[in-house]
Amino acid sequence: MKRLILAAILASAGMAHAQSPLPFAVGGPYALTDHTGKARTQADPDGLPQLLFFGYANCPGICTAALPLMGDLTAQLAKADIAVRPVMITVDPARDTAENMAEPLTYFHPDFLGLTGDAAALDTAYKAFSVDHAVAYEDPDYGPVYTHGSLIYLMDASGEVLTLIPPVMDAATATNVALKYLSNP
Amino acid sequence: MRGYFAGLLAFLAAPALAAEGERITVTGEIIDTWCYYSGVMGGPDSVVGSAHHTCALWCSASGIPIGLLAEDGTVYTILKLGAQDNATGGDTALTLASHTVTADGMAYERDGINYIIVEKVVEDMGIVNRTHEDYDVVPSFAIPEPKE
Repeated sequence: MKRLILAAILASAGMAHAQSPLPFAVGGPYALTDHTGKARTQADPDGLPQLLFFGYANCPGICTAALPLMGDLTAQLAKADIAVRPVMITVDPARDTAENMAEPLTYFHPDFLGLTGDAAALDTAYKAFSVDHAVAYEDPDYGPVYTHGSLIYLMDASGEVLTLIPPVMDAATATNVALKYLSNP
Repeated sequence: MRGYFAGLLAFLAAPALAAEGERITVTGEIIDTWCYYSGVMGGPDSVVGSAHHTCALWCSASGIPIGLLAEDGTVYTILKLGAQDNATGGDTALTLASHTVTADGMAYERDGINYIIVEKVVEDMGIVNRTHEDYDVVPSFAIPEPKE
């Protein structure tokens, strides 16, 4: 039943528009540092498509739905022989550091990369993806909690955004959406 | 599960929006799309309105996309809400959670999903969907655990 409904969704999506450019501006250059200490821009050095999210590796509140989906999506695409790089840019560099991002992120997938940087470098990335960086609320125990991004960006190897993946999709639906863009690059 | 299928049906009910966008004025409720689509909190009637307000705040603050559930059942994932860049988690989204609003903006369809960039909230009617009378309020897990 789920497969039938999924097929109907994808049919209704209109394959003719599958690889059309996004009709709104999102994305752009950034220069940050990954959790292994290597410099990283919006372009993947290995030429891989990317999944990008703005959030927390060390989440002080209710856990995001995005990171588990990114891990599942990466694994599902690998089964179709498509390697992608899941990437998360922190919205809280005080809480997410290069030293402590690896463990929580690689829990979701071993290839996950966490990116951080100084305030100016992060702000460039936030602005490119229209992520307001603001305090969402003050947790009495954990301190300030910042607003997240809310969408997963599917990007090509150069960093161009191909489409959006709301993290409310199940992994199978998200995989089929991604395959539309990645099967025939 | 009912919510999950309701969400899928909302996808299928998507109007034929032009890929390049179409200006619309639409009235509906600002919803928490995770609970609406996943069905983890019950059927679609229980995850809207006053019964779901607190959970909707937590989901929004935690990066879950917010949506606009239009009167015809279409769900628009909100990309931008007025002057606020990211629709989720900020003051505007938290203020309008569970509110019924009339919004003016640009609607787009991509991959079977409807998106809207809300340029202006024309009218904010507040929380008018009093679902707590049927479903009570606040799931216990929406209340954060104190630090040990």
